[in-house]
Amino acid sequence: MIKKKVCMLGSFAVGKTSLVQRFVNSIFSEKYHTTIGVKIDQKRIQIDNKDVNLMLWDIHGEDEFQKVKPAYIMGSSGYFIVIDGTRRNSMETGLELQKMVVKTIGKVPFIILINKADLKKQWEITDEDIQQLKTQGTEVMLTSAKTGDAVEEAFIQLTRQMLK
Amino acid sequence: MKPMSKEDANKKLLKAIAAEQLNELREILTGLEREELQQLNTLIKDPEAFAEEIRKLLPLSIRKMVDAGDLTMESLLPLIEEAIRESIRKNPEKLADILFPIMMPAIRKAVTSDIKQMLDSLNNTLEHNFSFKRLGWRMQALFSGRKYSEVVLSHAYIYQVKQVFLIHKTTGLLLAQAADEQQSNVANADMVSSMLSAIKDFVQDSFSNKKENTLEEINVGRTRILLEQGPYAILASVVEGNVPKAYHDLLKETIEGIHISFYRELEHFGGDVTPFEEETHLLKQCLQKEQKPQKKRKPVFAIFLLLIIMALLVFGIYLGVDKHFRYNHLLNDLRNTPGVVVTRSDNSLFGKMTFYGLRDPLSPKPSSFLKKNRVKPKTAQFNFKPYISVDSPLVLQRAQQLLKPPPTIKMRFQNGVLFVSGTADTTWMKTVYEKYPMIVGVEKLSVSASLEKKNGKVIDNILAIEKHVFHFKYNVFELDSTQAKEFDKLIKEVKNVLNFSFKQDSVPVIVVNSFTSYAGNVEGNKYIAQHRAEQFINRMIHHGIPQEVLVPKVRFIENFNHQFENRSVSFQVKYVKPESL
Repeated sequence: MIKKKVCMLGSFAVGKTSLVQRFVNSIFSEKYHTTIGVKIDQKRIQIDNKDVNLMLWDIHGEDEFQKVKPAYIMGSSGYFIVIDGTRRNSMETGLELQKMVVKTIGKVPFIILINKADLKKQWEITDEDIQQLKTQGTEVMLTSAKTGDAVEEAFIQLTRQMLK
Repeated sequence: MKPMSKEDANKKLLKAIAAEQLNELREILTGLEREELQQLNTLIKDPEAFAEEIRKLLPLSIRKMVDAGDLTMESLLPLIEEAIRESIRKNPEKLADILFPIMMPAIRKAVTSDIKQMLDSLNNTLEHNFSFKRLGWRMQALFSGRKYSEVVLSHAYIYQVKQVFLIHKTTGLLLAQAADEQQSNVANADMVSSMLSAIKDFVQDSFSNKKENTLEEINVGRTRILLEQGPYAILASVVEGNVPKAYHDLLKETIEGIHISFYRELEHFGGDVTPFEEETHLLKQCLQKEQKPQKKRKPVFAIFLLLIIMALLVFGIYLGVDKHFRYNHLLNDLRNTPGVVVTRSDNSLFGKMTFYGLRDPLSPKPSSFLKKNRVKPKTAQFNFKPYISVDSPLVLQRAQQLLKPPPTIKMRFQNGVLFVSGTADTTWMKTVYEKYPMIVGVEKLSVSASLEKKNGKVIDNILAIEKHVFHFKYNVFELDSTQAKEFDKLIKEVKNVLNFSFKQDSVPVIVVNSFTSYAGNVEGNKYIAQHRAEQFINRMIHHGIPQEVLVPKVRFIENFNHQFENRSVSFQVKYVKPESL
C-alpha cells in the first residue's frame, strides 16, 4: 500500500472543500462552510495496478486574516492550488501560496485547478492568463466541483505524477 | 593518396626505432611492461576505479599507521571534534537523529533513577500519613508482599489501550496500526493519524517556538492519546484510564525499537507503508491493559446491614441482661424489705417487670427502690395487697406510732417482747400499759427496772382505782358494808396516786363516773346519778382527798353492751396540767 499526502491550497471560498467532497463522496452542496484549520479526508484509488491511499488535507483558505501554516504542508507528496475562476485575486493568492510551498518543502508535483468551470461566463480569469500559466510549465486544469467536471481526472493526474 | 617521400619514410623509421628503444628503456627503468603501465595510467585517470583501489588498501594502511604510531587518537581527536562541531553547527538535528537510539535509553535510565528516588520519597511520605483508606492499602501491601507505594499507585493504574498508531512524522501518514481485538469501535486509523499530526503541528506551531516542546498527550473525555515522538515517526496510543509510568517507558522503547529496525525506511519514506504493516509486533506489544481484577463485589450493603443487625442484637442483649440484672436487684431489695412479701414476679423481655405479693403499709413503697436500681417507673408494675407484718422493725414502728414515746424513751422489739427503757412520766407509762396489747406482734411488755420502780406502784394503783365498780339498786344511794370496805381500799389507792402524782408535772384527777340510762325519767335518773357521784366525792373529801382533784360526771348508757352497768359508779384517773385545776 502506498500512501500519499495531498494538500488543497488556495484562497478562501475557491472550492477546495467542495472539490474534496466531490472526489471523495461524489456530492456537492451549494452551502458554503468556511474551513477552520484543516479537514482531512482519504480516498483510495488504483492507478497502474497500484493501490494508493490519498490523504487529502483540506487546508483553510488563505486570506488577509489567516495564513496557511507551513507545518500543514510539510510532508506533502503533491498539492493542488485551487483558484476561483470568477475571482481574479484568488489566482494571485494561489500563486503566492505555490511559492510558499516551494520554499517550505521544495519542488513536488502540483496542479493548478481553476474551479467553478460551470460559471465560465462569469470568469475574470482569461484564456490568456491560463495560457501564461501553462507556458511557465505549470499544469492547469479547469474543474467544476458542482458538475464534477475534471475533478477525478485532476486527482488521478496528480497521483500519477506523485508516483513517478 | 599521395605517395610517402623517402625522407619521410626514414623519419618514420627512426621514430619507430626511437619508440621501441624508449619502450625498452622504460621497461629497464620501471620493470613494467607497456600494458601494465597503460593500466596504471587508466587507473589514475579514473577517480572511481582509483578510489576503489585505495578503499581496499586504506583500512590496512590505517591499521599499520596506528600500529607504527604514525596515527594516534590524540592526533585524530581535534579532527573528529571539529567535524562534530561543524556537523552540529550546520544541522544539529542530524546528529540528534543519529544519537537518538543511544541517547534515549541513557536519558530514560537517568529519569527512571530519578523517578525511583521520587517514589521512595513518596513512599516515605505515605508511610507517615494516615487514613483509613491508606490503612487498608497498608494491609494489602503487608499481605501481598508488595511495596506500599506500589499498592497506592496501583489503585490509579487501571487502563486499557484501544489502538496504537505509528505515524510518519513529516507526512502525518499512517505507517502501521494495531487495535485491541475486543474493541469494536475502532477509529479510522488513517484519518486519525493525519488529524493527530495536524493537531500536533497546530499546537506546536501555535504555542511553542521550540522544536523540542512537543505535544505529548491529548485528552478527549475519558480517552487519552499518548504521543511518543521519535525523529521520523510518532507512536500514538489511544488509552482509556490511567496508565502507569512503565507504559510510557514501553512506548519510548517501542519508538526507539522502530527507529532502529526501520531507520532507512523512515529516513527515505516515500509513501510505501508495506514494510511497517508487515512488522506490527512492536505495536501489538503496546496494546496493554490492566483491568481491575474481577473482584467479587463486596456486599457492602449486606455487611453494613449485618453489622447494624449485630449491633442491634448486641445492644438488645445488653439491654436484656441489664434489665435482668436490674430486675434481680429490685426483686432482692423487695424481698429484703421488712413488711414486703413477694409471692410472684415476672420479667418479660419487652414487657414490664411485674411484682405480686403482700405489703405492710408501714413498709417502704416498692417504687422507692426504682431509682436506686435504675428502673423507670413506666417499666415496673407492683401489685401488692396490704397486710400487717410482724417483722420486728415494723412492730417497733407500729409501737412507736401508737405509743408516741418521748425522746427520753428507747424502745426495741425482739421475739414478741417490746422493751421500753429510759425516763418518762406516769401518764405516758399508763398509756403504754393500756395500749401495748393493741400492737400486733407484741406479746409481752418489758419495762426497764428503773422506769418500773419509778412509776410501777402508781400505775398499779391507778389500774386498781379504775377497776373498782360500785353497783346500786334502784333508788339506793348508800354503800353497803362490802362496798364500804371496798371504798376504804379505794381511798388508799387514791392517796397513793395523789402522793406520787403531786411530784409530777401533771396532776392526777379522779373522775367519778356515775352511770345511768335514759329509761324512765331522764331528769330523775340524772339527778340520782349526780347525787351518787357527789356522795362518793363527799366521802372522799371526808377521807382527806382534795376537792380540786375530784370531778363528778354523770354518764348515760346508750347501749346494753356497755361495760358498765346501769346504776353504777366507777373511777377514772386522768392527768392534767396543774394550772387547769
